[in-house]
Amino acid sequence: MASITFRGVTKRWGAFVGVKDLNLEVADQEFLVLLGPSGCGKTTTMRMVAGLEDPTDGEIWIGDDIVNDVSPRDRDVAMVFQNYGLYPHISVRENIAYPLKVRKVPKSEVAALVNAAADKVELDPFLDRKPGQLSGGQRQRVALARSLVRTPQVFLMDEPLSNLDAKLRVTMRAELKHLHHELKITTIYVTQDQMEAMTLATRIAVMSNGVIQQLAAPEVIYNDPATLFVAGFIGSPSMNLLPGALVDGTFVAGPLRVPDFAAGNREGVVLGVRPEDVTVTAPGEGQFDMDVYTVELTGESILVTARAGKLQLTAHADRHYRCGIGDRVGMRFEPARGYLFDEATEHRIKLNHGTMQ
Amino acid sequence: MTSVHPSALVSPSNLAARRRVKRQRRRRLLAVLQGAVIVAVAFLVLFPIVWMVLTAFKEPADDYRYTLRFTPTLDNFREVFSDRWDIAKNIRNSTIIAVSTVVIATPIAVSASYAFSRLRFPLKRTMFQWNLLTQFIPSVAIVLPFYIMFRNLDLLDTYVALILVDLSIVLPYAIWTIKGFIDAIPIETEEAAIIDGAGRFRIIWDIVVPMARPGIMTAAIFCFILTWNELLFGYLLSRQDVVPLPVGIISFVLERGPVWELIAATGIIITVPMFFFALMIQRHFTKGMNLGAVR
Repeated sequence: MASITFRGVTKRWGAFVGVKDLNLEVADQEFLVLLGPSGCGKTTTMRMVAGLEDPTDGEIWIGDDIVNDVSPRDRDVAMVFQNYGLYPHISVRENIAYPLKVRKVPKSEVAALVNAAADKVELDPFLDRKPGQLSGGQRQRVALARSLVRTPQVFLMDEPLSNLDAKLRVTMRAELKHLHHELKITTIYVTQDQMEAMTLATRIAVMSNGVIQQLAAPEVIYNDPATLFVAGFIGSPSMNLLPGALVDGTFVAGPLRVPDFAAGNREGVVLGVRPEDVTVTAPGEGQFDMDVYTVELTGESILVTARAGKLQLTAHADRHYRCGIGDRVGMRFEPARGYLFDEATEHRIKLNHGTMQ
Repeated sequence: MTSVHPSALVSPSNLAARRRVKRQRRRRLLAVLQGAVIVAVAFLVLFPIVWMVLTAFKEPADDYRYTLRFTPTLDNFREVFSDRWDIAKNIRNSTIIAVSTVVIATPIAVSASYAFSRLRFPLKRTMFQWNLLTQFIPSVAIVLPFYIMFRNLDLLDTYVALILVDLSIVLPYAIWTIKGFIDAIPIETEEAAIIDGAGRFRIIWDIVVPMARPGIMTAAIFCFILTWNELLFGYLLSRQDVVPLPVGIISFVLERGPVWELIAATGIIITVPMFFFALMIQRHFTKGMNLGAVR
């Protein structure tokens, strides 16, 4: 087991910058999730740890060693690929045993290790099948077992659940979490799925354009987003973002007014508020009125999206709430649950709501 | 002229029925036409083969008679193996040349196509294109330079010369075929092997070769067929020691002209192994290659 450290790591392909001056320390036994849209540099970051890509600049440390010039096989990392990367022509047993075979582990030990790894991911009944005869979830388990079998220092997972159907994804997610709890191997996990990130991570690094936007524990990322990008990326449905201005403590956006939002005057700001923090009221009883644009039943709640002019706001309503498209409704939220961002820099403007009340 | 009540003509159901009949008739006509074309093409392709088989079992006297009624004989096969024609020697030559070519070409082609598929090196595209371009040069255009070259090297009428020439014929094709199959192997599978600790050669041997096996088999068999059937270079570069089978046939001439019944018998001997190889290729092709490496 080991920590992983990036010191000023940059990856360029010609003029294109994949990862830009990355400084990051992944603690021993940590489960770090790299989260971001495709092309944000998260996979490249992971592949540099594996040794499948060489950094253009900077140092990568695993434990106490710089691994820039260490070949992948000597880094003692294991990786689970999005497409599993199984060997289709050999049995599940041989797949799991392959890292041991290559490393010339004595045959007498191999069988026991393979059985132990297969047991951990409940693959025992399928050891003699070929990968092609397994379901997606089972193949994913083979990939996991193959990476477990030699107890590496570092676990790398590249969107390992993205090819599974929704239900299986939730099950496997729970199993991964349990597995990490059991093995305590330092893990870097790449995903585009914020739900996976929130549930699995010790810390999340939200990336975009090759830069870490925010690195923090899941609840901090969710409750205290540092930038507009993080605020908009995390949460489903995503945070409502209303561009406007602060005029004498009132947030003004088109016809909307949110009085007593924050002290002061400021142009070019964006107000953010999560749908679950917005309440739908009868017209006139909220901070402002809007016309219902669409109503979506999710089961656990009703998503009410309403518009006023060009501004749009989504709110979580109780699952027994009913309204029709075109109805006039009121919208209300606690100013303390709102966020304010600078439209130009996209950075969060810290508010001191206390002084307002 | 039959008289039809005017209302019957315009009734929609009647109109639809007539249209249906018309469509059916057109479909049937098309089917008949299709069948006719297939039969015609099949006849064109199969007739020479059928004729060769018939001739192989005919007495010399029946050669030029367009009859299907004759007493079949195995004399022709006995005759080509006799000391006079000694076709066994040609079979041995052809086998040595074809087998050596395939045994040498396959590992070279696998290595080259892996490099073209996976490695990055300068002029890769150009080299691959040139590799293919060599296939477009008509053999007749280079047969003389080859002849002079091998004469200067004192390699005329040797296996080495014929194997070298055949390699130059089959390698571009084999590289091209196998590369297609290696391209189709998901790169993740190789990366997984890298992380599992395998080196380059280990990956090629453990992962790439087994996964590209259908392509490698197809290429190898096709190379064998090309070499086995090769006539032009064999004709010019061999004299007596290494004369391959197709060239051997050319010498089946007596004062009365070409000895068709012997040529036909040898034709069967040449064709039968190729027939089975073609069947094998088909099996490998249809086997496909996505065995579940990804998703």
